[in-house]
Amino acid sequence: MIEVRELTKRYGATTAVDRLSFAVRPGTVTGFLGPNGAGKSTTMRVLLGLDAATSGEALVNGGRYAALRRPMREVGALLDAGAVHGGRRAFDHLGWLARGNGIPARRVTEVLEQVGLAGVARKRVAGFSLGMRQRLGIAAALLGDPGVLMFDEPVNGLDPDGVRWIRELMRALAAEGRTVLISSHLMSEMELTADRLIVIGRGRLIADTSVRELAQRFGRGVLVRTPRPAELTEVLEAAGGSVEPAPGGPATDGRLADGRLAVGGLDVEAIGDMAAAKGIPLHEVTPHSASLEEAYMALTSGNAEFTADAKTQPTTEATARRTS
Amino acid sequence: MNGRGAADAVAAEWWKLRSVRSTYWVLTATALTLGLVLLLGVQVARAWDGLSAADRTKFELRPLQEIGGWAAGLCVGVLGVLAITPEYRTGMIRTTFTAVPRRGVLLAAKAAVVGTVALVAGEAVTVGSLVGTRLVVGDRRFADQGASLAHELPGFAVAGATPAVYALIGLALGALLRSTAGSIVSLVFAWHVLPLLVYHLPGPWNERVGSVMIGGLPAQIAGRDAENSIYGDLLPPGAAAALLAAYAIVPLGFAAAVLRRRDA
Amino acid sequence: MIDAFAAEWYKLRTIRSTAAVFGAVGVFMLLCVLYSWYVGHYWDGLSAAERSRTEASPPDQLLAVTLPVCAVVLGALTLTSEYATGMHRTSLTALPRRLTLFTAKAGVAGGAMLAAALASLAAGFLGGKAVVGDRALPTFHGPAGATAAHLLWVGLAAAALTLITYGVGAVLRSTAATITSMLGLLIVVPVLTRLLPSPWDDRAWSLLPEALPGQIAAAPGTSGGEGVLPAPVAAVLMAVYVAIALAVGAFSFVRRDA
Repeated sequence: MIEVRELTKRYGATTAVDRLSFAVRPGTVTGFLGPNGAGKSTTMRVLLGLDAATSGEALVNGGRYAALRRPMREVGALLDAGAVHGGRRAFDHLGWLARGNGIPARRVTEVLEQVGLAGVARKRVAGFSLGMRQRLGIAAALLGDPGVLMFDEPVNGLDPDGVRWIRELMRALAAEGRTVLISSHLMSEMELTADRLIVIGRGRLIADTSVRELAQRFGRGVLVRTPRPAELTEVLEAAGGSVEPAPGGPATDGRLADGRLAVGGLDVEAIGDMAAAKGIPLHEVTPHSASLEEAYMALTSGNAEFTADAKTQPTTEATARRTS
Repeated sequence: MNGRGAADAVAAEWWKLRSVRSTYWVLTATALTLGLVLLLGVQVARAWDGLSAADRTKFELRPLQEIGGWAAGLCVGVLGVLAITPEYRTGMIRTTFTAVPRRGVLLAAKAAVVGTVALVAGEAVTVGSLVGTRLVVGDRRFADQGASLAHELPGFAVAGATPAVYALIGLALGALLRSTAGSIVSLVFAWHVLPLLVYHLPGPWNERVGSVMIGGLPAQIAGRDAENSIYGDLLPPGAAAALLAAYAIVPLGFAAAVLRRRDA
Repeated sequence: MIDAFAAEWYKLRTIRSTAAVFGAVGVFMLLCVLYSWYVGHYWDGLSAAERSRTEASPPDQLLAVTLPVCAVVLGALTLTSEYATGMHRTSLTALPRRLTLFTAKAGVAGGAMLAAALASLAAGFLGGKAVVGDRALPTFHGPAGATAAHLLWVGLAAAALTLITYGVGAVLRSTAATITSMLGLLIVVPVLTRLLPSPWDDRAWSLLPEALPGQIAAAPGTSGGEGVLPAPVAAVLMAVYVAIALAVGAFSFVRRDA
């Protein structure tokens, strides 16, 4: 369980995190999203007691991280995989961490095997690739078998195999009932890994939602392909739908040219029924939800109006829930 | 083409040097040594006024005048180290090698930039110490200050070049060891610990080895004896000058050879 | 606290710079023996009159000069090397109680330096003494008690210097700045004090960290008499330096963002 309440962090005149509130629950993978500089790493640093909050609080398992006696047994974190001393061997890097938290030395061997670094355990970290360092950092996070896990950009530098491995690992960890928070600026990756999403921009909460809700909220529509686009447009617009020509254009291979239309405000059944009633043939009717990527771009775009709009919604909901 | 590449490399290194904060810290520390010398000069002048005529003949100003340049040697030596070791720590050295693939040229460019800055700083502190202390003591006639300023200047100008030698040694050490801590410690060893250990050697070895220590070379170039110093005075001026130049060039040449062969 | 000490000890002994520092201490210890062999050789060639006039530096002199440098490096790297790589965040994540971590690091670095200094001083001195044998060199044949006290205080001063540097490193957070300023202080300031008019030169010099062990327990057989402080005052002063540096360092380490 991770709780952030009204957290503000200022560095001099710059406000990195601005009255941010959210909670991360056990049993789910929660994606922590935002463009570069949105305040994700700062929030994680405050959660881990590295930076002091200017105001508000950031709690893990109901308490301050810095007050934990053996923190790695409760919280595992990967912040910056490059932050290891290159002159130390992988085994020793985990060794001292285990010592400091009363973790038995056999766990070091176990996690090194788990992340696939058993073969290079006695090699100095300086010679590791970015991907290997990432795996070493994940091994450190898993060392204390903690119930809460935080990863800052864990797929950075990993190859496709590694990315899939992380994805499956995160899902498995959540399935075991752990709280998993992963920060990323790649929505496409979160789409495949996360159940819930916390989106922040310029230090403020933009959305606290599930992956499905977010996809539905943005760009639910139907893609229709028909040889008589003009007629269909007329019919659908008369029924209150919005219709726009969709990219792709008519086929040019000599057959009857099809028009592609993006229809909003009407569902598949309504479109099919109306087309049948007017005798307009349909060659394709596909319910189309905007990719999460598009939703994210819309949410975090520099467009102030839009950002403000999208932001007020969840925040007011959250406030209403709290006050009731 | 070749000359153009080298000039570009020098320009790039100059840009690098003046865009990091550590350069200004080091140069501030260098300037502080001069300030400290002048401050002590004021103190010494006051003390002089309280001395008897007999004590005054034994009271020397020269050690104070020379100490600024000595301390500046450490400061600009660190400047030389910091011209390369942070690049190794951050991995930026690979970017640098990609930008200037000929590593000998790269090191030469770094040496030109660091050496020039160190030379200017070293001369400023050394000559500044001479002129500044003379101004501070005014018309008090210290026994060792009989010679005219014009007569003393060449000797001090030579001494003012030794900080630049330490800067180039620092650069060479940094290129060889790639570690800030290791390089600075080795530099301090060469600058202070080694001469001190040599001084503790039993004679005649303390004098023999002491004569080839960097700190003792300017006096030998100027033809002065090593009385009141931990160094020796066995070298003729020409040999001392050649040795001083060798101290600047040989470590750099060695570092360039290693740099060319070693993986970045 | 025990966990933190164990973790820091593990860290210290799995890093090459530690080995380099203690390797250097070992080399200087061997050089002490080599120096003693040379002194003995040199002594044999002297006439009786020359022998009475010769004062050879004690066998541990070489270590007494070089241990402070090693102590500064160890004290600096204990903390600043972590700031250089960003690993201090990993350390603080593993051991978030900052005062505990700070204390553990100080304890391990100071303890290791003390052990290495005492071991090398004892070995260097005894080795040198054995090499010189029964040649009547006064600096090699001081009374056992006085010699032990002298070596103990040289070792304690090295450990104190490690702790002072460690505290300074916590404030400066940079290897280069910490090592340079500490070695500058250690080397340049004594020379500056020597330029002050008497008696201020002695008075100022007596206050310097490296002047303290000699004032607490001078090396037997040397002319001694350097410094003006009584032994207890010098010992207290050493403790005060350490306390101030550690307090300032701890304050900076606990209060500032990592």
